[in-house]
Amino acid sequence: MIHNKNVRILAIAPLSRGLGYAVMEGPDKLVACGNKAILRDKNAKALAWVNRFIQFYQPDVLVLPNVTAADTRRAARIKTLHRKIVAWAGKKKVKVRLVSVTQVRNQLLGEAKGTKFAVAQTLATRFPVELGPRLPPKRRPWMSEDPRMDIFDAVGLAAAFWPSAK
Amino acid sequence: MKSLPNYLQSQRKRLALSQEEVGFLLGISGMTKGEKVCRDENFAREPSLQDALAYEAIYGMPVRELFAGRYQQAQQEVATRAKILSFRKLRKTDSRKQEAIIQLAAKASVNQSRE
Repeated sequence: MIHNKNVRILAIAPLSRGLGYAVMEGPDKLVACGNKAILRDKNAKALAWVNRFIQFYQPDVLVLPNVTAADTRRAARIKTLHRKIVAWAGKKKVKVRLVSVTQVRNQLLGEAKGTKFAVAQTLATRFPVELGPRLPPKRRPWMSEDPRMDIFDAVGLAAAFWPSAK
Repeated sequence: MKSLPNYLQSQRKRLALSQEEVGFLLGISGMTKGEKVCRDENFAREPSLQDALAYEAIYGMPVRELFAGRYQQAQQEVATRAKILSFRKLRKTDSRKQEAIIQLAAKASVNQSRE
């Protein structure tokens, strides 16, 4: 059963700067999370990192963002990387589940509308020890996105995987 | 789900300690104290009993939970051996001994059904 609480999931958020990753064992146990900044030849290096994560954490399910959902916009490079990761997971016989941004917001905020910062705040409240110190300040219009938001993107995907997660 | 061999990294990050600091707390001397902790966390080295107990003291978590994968493996192996032992004819029939062996052997079938 895919939504069994006794599964280890690896959530990967491929982003323009690199990767965000999160590993959970059940809806309340965040085992690891972080981000990897990747420069040059991004897709090949990102795929190598995904392979390393799969070998290290031996996940039962790989959770990825649904880049083909109606409400999602992604760069062509990231869509290509996404396809490669899905193909790679298939080779490694790891189940893949796609979670859309709307699903993440519905699960964590209780409604389809909301900002990334609101999602990050909800996650920091839910995992105060692991994520509390990593919550970046609220982004102002003149600021670039903080690299730490990659972590919250990945943990958001992982947290939205379990239907009971609120 | 098989547990990971250990959960040292997540516990260290929970306390916001560096690998060097944990190495110092473990009593590892020299320049390589961070490296040894790194190898423990990446399942490349099996820490000694002294180190495992020190980890328990540092992280405030029992060894069987810190090294959950290793514990599961050891438990499975003991249960399998207990099953073999239960088939052997005992010279002296001691009810306490029989009960202990049967209990251990029962864990083997429970673990197999979980997997």
